Amino acid sequence: MTNAQIEIQAIAALVAVACAIPGAFLVLRKMSMISDAISHAILPGIVLGFFITQDLNSPLLILLAALTGVITVILVEYIQKTGLVKEDTAIGLVFPALFSIGVILIAKNANDVHLDIDAVLLGELAFAPFDRLLIGETDMGPKSLWVIGTILLITLTLLFLFFKELKLSTFDKGLATTLGFSPVLLHYGLMTVSSVTVVGAFDAVGAVLVVALIIAPAATAYLLTDNLKKMLIISCGFGVFAAIGGYWMAHFLNASIAGSMTTVLGIIFLLVYLFAPKQGVISGFFQEKQQQVEVSLLIFLLHLQNHAEAEERHVNHLREHINWQKVRSKTVLELATKNNLIQISDDVVSLTDKGQEFTDEALNYITTNKATAIEELKNRFFLFRG
Amino acid sequence: MELTDFFTDYTLRTITLGTAILGAICGMLGSFAVLRKQSLLGDAISHAALPGIALAFLITGAKETNMLLIGALVSGLIGTFWINGIVKRTRLKSDTALGLILSLFFGFGMLLLTFIQKMPNANQAGLDKYLFGQAATLMEKDVWLMAIVTGISLLVLLLFWKELKLLLFDADYTKTLGFNVRFLDILITTFIVLAIVLGLQTVGVVLMSAMLLAPAAAARQWTNSLGTMIILAAIFGAFSGVFGTAISASQNNLSTGPVIVLVASALVIVSFIFSPKRGLLFREIRFRKNRRELHLKKTLTFMYHIAANHENISHPHAIRILNNFQGFTRKTLTTLEEQEFIQIEGNQWAMTKKGFNEAETMFNQLGQEND
Repeated sequence: MTNAQIEIQAIAALVAVACAIPGAFLVLRKMSMISDAISHAILPGIVLGFFITQDLNSPLLILLAALTGVITVILVEYIQKTGLVKEDTAIGLVFPALFSIGVILIAKNANDVHLDIDAVLLGELAFAPFDRLLIGETDMGPKSLWVIGTILLITLTLLFLFFKELKLSTFDKGLATTLGFSPVLLHYGLMTVSSVTVVGAFDAVGAVLVVALIIAPAATAYLLTDNLKKMLIISCGFGVFAAIGGYWMAHFLNASIAGSMTTVLGIIFLLVYLFAPKQGVISGFFQEKQQQVEVSLLIFLLHLQNHAEAEERHVNHLREHINWQKVRSKTVLELATKNNLIQISDDVVSLTDKGQEFTDEALNYITTNKATAIEELKNRFFLFRG
Repeated sequence: MELTDFFTDYTLRTITLGTAILGAICGMLGSFAVLRKQSLLGDAISHAALPGIALAFLITGAKETNMLLIGALVSGLIGTFWINGIVKRTRLKSDTALGLILSLFFGFGMLLLTFIQKMPNANQAGLDKYLFGQAATLMEKDVWLMAIVTGISLLVLLLFWKELKLLLFDADYTKTLGFNVRFLDILITTFIVLAIVLGLQTVGVVLMSAMLLAPAAAARQWTNSLGTMIILAAIFGAFSGVFGTAISASQNNLSTGPVIVLVASALVIVSFIFSPKRGLLFREIRFRKNRRELHLKKTLTFMYHIAANHENISHPHAIRILNNFQGFTRKTLTTLEEQEFIQIEGNQWAMTKKGFNEAETMFNQLGQEND
């Protein structure tokens, strides 16, 4: 690996982590699309800032563009408050207009501006190592590394300082307010951090792909854990993995680094979407199936309890009576036997003592409207699940 | 460029016609997206169409517009169904699903585009016009395609008008009446995807969503009837399409997409401010008028209480004694005098018979309401 390659990967990884942290909170607060709005709407701010400073990495430009981001949020909220259009329409109206202004500004000043449309959409990560920070004569490394490093440091500091407040106001706004934390302050604080991060990352990965770096790691992590701290750590991990994996994918395909990073994120999300242990599609499918068999089992046990006479409890009769297909009744019978809930003698099924106890309790829960408690009951009685 | 060029120049006429039709169909179908709270779905779909365009090019190796659009359609539909899948099967909310699909598909599309750009056969230039749109590349057959799709969607709209309208305003009721909600849902979503795909060449994937939303949001301000709203949205859309294309055609180096979006956004701002019933301007005027009237009534009531303590109701009082009451200004006093409720002489005011009666009835009415 050359020096430039290491620097590019370092920048990409820092960008990914800086985006993943606010991303986790945006996803949990159901405000993901705000990041889309911010990332598009800062474009005019960046272009105007560039006219003034002539330097994409100048702190003034970053502040100016981040201010545009916060203004966008305020504008969206103002339109929502007027009630003239529904909430999401407000987002959809504001950012394309601001983005268009940015694109036109670039197009009209194409000659004087060292900014082009491709850079806006994709960023210029590959060129980042060429723009170096010089203090006196010493080379301090690429400028964007310093910029995104500073942003990340600020984000991390704020995260550690206000973790408790952020967590509380994310999950229970009402309680946060009654305890005296200001949700408005936290909201705009989060929006400011997101805007600054988006601006810092914009240079590296472009307008649309910032959104991927913000939302995708957080959403993927959310499918894997219920714990906010773990979610933050996992999403940072995915971000870094995508940054480094994406770099090498781009290297081999000779394509855009930002595009490859997003594609890696997409693949990770697809895998987690399909295979996540609790939230994944496939496990959801099995859970549904298990639920179905277990509900059948419960109905079957209740039926047994209701009928003392032997002919009602005959194996063949049951199939007719409850009207199950053969396969299903077989699975249910097997499950019940494995769990010692029933015993079969001469093709006549009867409840065991354990089965009797289970059925009584289940019936009690059903009649007292506490059907949710049955899940816990199953855990106590079942040796094998359906 | 002269205005008459629009009618004489063949290319310009084609382009103008194309953008007009596009604006109309977007406005029409956009109305449904806006009312169904699916505004941002358009954004996600249009971004999700990009990898379809690139893949279609990679597979066919030719820049045949129709093939590229079919690719876009397929990938847009996959994106849409995946969004539904994510919302239905995981705990992620719809906004996260939209953002995910939007950015992930777009990123993959950009990967493919940059990959294509660096391929040795140089036939690929021009694919990036799908990013921001280039109306100048519209050809007569493209316009025909748009016209046909618009015709079909109009027909379907008319055919399912009653059902779609019901679905918009009360989905549960529609279901209980026995209509196939799922079918209607897929029908309208498919047409929205179609409209988006048609617009990609002109407006581009990045800004297509605004083309869908803005005319509909503007039209919504002027009417409360679905039919009128759709017609108005179609007109607004066609107007912004034509006007935007004209502006961008008269300038060098300007993609059509951003200009059209800005024209449509201007329409939205005008509608937000000046619409007579919902607009911000008239709302503010109504608000102020009500407030003034309330002040006037409060002043009159206050005066009534003073006058009621005297035998002669028209006994003059100093204006000064109104000072401990906040609601009056010189202007309210003049208005009250104009309405002949009071008379002012120098620093004194006196209630007239008319003003006394007015305040008394107002007072009685208030009393009755409180009972």
